[in-house]
Amino acid sequence: MAVILVVEDDVFIREVAEMMICDWGHQILSACDVEGALLHLRSLQSIDALFTDIYLKADVHGGCDLAHEAIRLRPALRVLYTTGNRVTQELQAMFAGGTHFLQKPYTEEQLQDSVETLLGV
Amino acid sequence: MAVSDIAASDIVETVPSALIVLDRNLNITSANRAFYQTFRTSAENTEGCLIYDLGNRQWDIPALRTLLESVIPHRASVEGFEVEHDFPTIGQRTMLVNARKIFSPGDHDGSILLAIEDVSEERAARKESKRNWQLTQSIVDTIRDPLVVLENDMTIVTASKAFLTIFGSTEAETHGRRVSELGQHQWDVPALRHLMEKVLPENKPIENFEIEDNFPGMGRRVFNLNARKISQPGNHAHRMLLVFEDITDRKQRERDAQMLTNEISHRIKNNLQIVVGLIAYEIKWTIAACVPGLKAMQARIGAIAQLYDLVSQSSRGQTVAIDAYLTDIAKSMSASLLGKQSGIEIVVKAEKLEIDPDRAVPLGLLVNELTTNAIKHAFPGGAGHIILSAERIGGDIELTVADDGVGMKNKIVAKVPEKRGADYVSIFVRQLGGAITTSSSEATGTTIKIRLPVLAGPSGGVEPLAA
Repeated sequence: MAVILVVEDDVFIREVAEMMICDWGHQILSACDVEGALLHLRSLQSIDALFTDIYLKADVHGGCDLAHEAIRLRPALRVLYTTGNRVTQELQAMFAGGTHFLQKPYTEEQLQDSVETLLGV
Repeated sequence: MAVSDIAASDIVETVPSALIVLDRNLNITSANRAFYQTFRTSAENTEGCLIYDLGNRQWDIPALRTLLESVIPHRASVEGFEVEHDFPTIGQRTMLVNARKIFSPGDHDGSILLAIEDVSEERAARKESKRNWQLTQSIVDTIRDPLVVLENDMTIVTASKAFLTIFGSTEAETHGRRVSELGQHQWDVPALRHLMEKVLPENKPIENFEIEDNFPGMGRRVFNLNARKISQPGNHAHRMLLVFEDITDRKQRERDAQMLTNEISHRIKNNLQIVVGLIAYEIKWTIAACVPGLKAMQARIGAIAQLYDLVSQSSRGQTVAIDAYLTDIAKSMSASLLGKQSGIEIVVKAEKLEIDPDRAVPLGLLVNELTTNAIKHAFPGGAGHIILSAERIGGDIELTVADDGVGMKNKIVAKVPEKRGADYVSIFVRQLGGAITTSSSEATGTTIKIRLPVLAGPSGGVEPLAA
C-alpha cells in the first residue's frame, strides 16, 4: 500500500477524497496549500504519490508549481493533478513530465482508476 | 557585315534620336531624319541656320545657350542635359541633350554634335507616378494603425507616420531595412519570416499573426500583423503592405474574461465535486438497491460538468460541437460506469454538427439517460457495443443511441426499464423541440432515433413518439 499526499484547499472535497483513498488501503498525508505540502515533502516521511488540485486558494497554478518542486525534492514521486478548469494546451505545458490528470468532478471509480494507474497497480 | 563596316551616314539616319551638327559659330551644318521628323522641319529650313534662329527662334532657349556657350567650350562632352521648353511647333516638351565636340582632320575649330532625345512621355509618366506615390503616402499617413510597404526583397520602401511615431523611429532608420532588423528585433520571428516570404510569390496574405513582446517606451504590447500583396495596374513590380494592429487592450480584456471564466469554472466544478462527494458518501451507507440510482445521479452531474467545459471551449459560447460533446460523454460514462475491465464499449460516430448552448444540456442528459439504460440492461453477458451517432438529415439532426445487446422485446422502450429514466427522456426530448422517430428493440439490440431541428425553436410542444 502507498503513502499519498493529498493537497486540496476545499476541506470537504479533500476529506471525501482521503476517505476514498483510505478505503482502498492507502495511507494519507494532507495539506490545504503549497506551503503545507512542502512541509511534508521536505520531511523524512516516505511519500509515494502526490494528488494535488491545481487551483490552490489564490494561486491559480499553485498545484503545477508544487509538483515541480516536489519532483525536484523527490525525483521518484508520482503526481496526479486535478482541476475543474478546462485543461488548455498552455496548462498542459505546465505539467511535469510523466504526470497524470483527473478532471473534476470525479466519482469514486474515476479516482480509483486514476490512483491505480498512477501507482502502476 | 560588321558594325564597323556600316557607313556613318546610314547609322545617323536610322538612330531614333534627333542629331544635329553645329559649326564653331553654332550654325547647323547637318541634321538627321529623326530631327526633321521630331521638330516638323526640313533640311532647307535648317542647314546653314544659326541654331537660335531655327523655326521662328524656338531654339533660343536660355538653358541651351548656357550649354552651348558656357559648358561646351570648357568640356569635351556633356550628357543628360535636360531642356524643358514650350516649342511653338510641337508644344511643351522635355528634351534630353547630349553634346560632344568632334574634330575632323584639318579642322582645328571642331564641330558640336547634339543628340536630342524627346523624353517628355517618360518624364510625364514619372511625374504621374510620383503624384500617385505622394497620394498613396498621404493615404497611408492618415491610417491610424502603423503600416509599412515592403519591396520584393523584404526591405521597407515606406513607413507610415503612425509607424514612425508609435515605434519611435525615423524614415532614415526604416527605409531600406528589413522588418526583422527593426527596433530590438521584436519582429524577427522565424514563423513570421516564413509567412512573409510567401506573400508575394504565392499571393498568400498573412492574417492575424500575433506577436507579444516588450517595446522600448511602450512596455509589453501585443500586435496583430496582417500582410497582403499590392500591385499597381500595368506594373509588374509587386509590393507588400504590412499592417501592425495594437491589440494589447483587447487581449487584456480577453485575458481578464478568461480569468473570470476560470474562477467561475473553478467554483462551479468544486461545488459539483462536493455534490458528487456527498453522493459518494451516501453510496457507502445506503442499501445496495439504491446504489445504481445514486451512481446514475453522479453520471448526470458529470455530464452537466462536461457540458460546461464544452460550452466554454466552443467558439465564444455561440455553439457546442456535438461530435466532441458526445465523445467526451462517452469517455466519462466509460470511466464512471464501466471501468477499464469492462467488455462494453461506447463508440461515437458523429458528423461535425453544432447545437446552441441552451439545448446542449438536455441533449447531453438525454444521451446520458439512454446510454445508462443500455449499459444496465442490454448486456447481461457483460460485453457489447453502444453506438452514439449524430447526422444531419435535411433541417434536422438525427441522434441515434443504439446497442447490439439482447433488446427489450415487446416492451415500449420509452417506458422501461425505470419510470424515472423514461420520464427524463420524454422531458429532454420535449425540451429539445424534437421527437423520437424510431424506438425498436429486437433480439439483436435496441435502437432509439431522435430528430431535433438544427435551429432552436419553441420547445415543449412536441410529444415523443413510441414505435
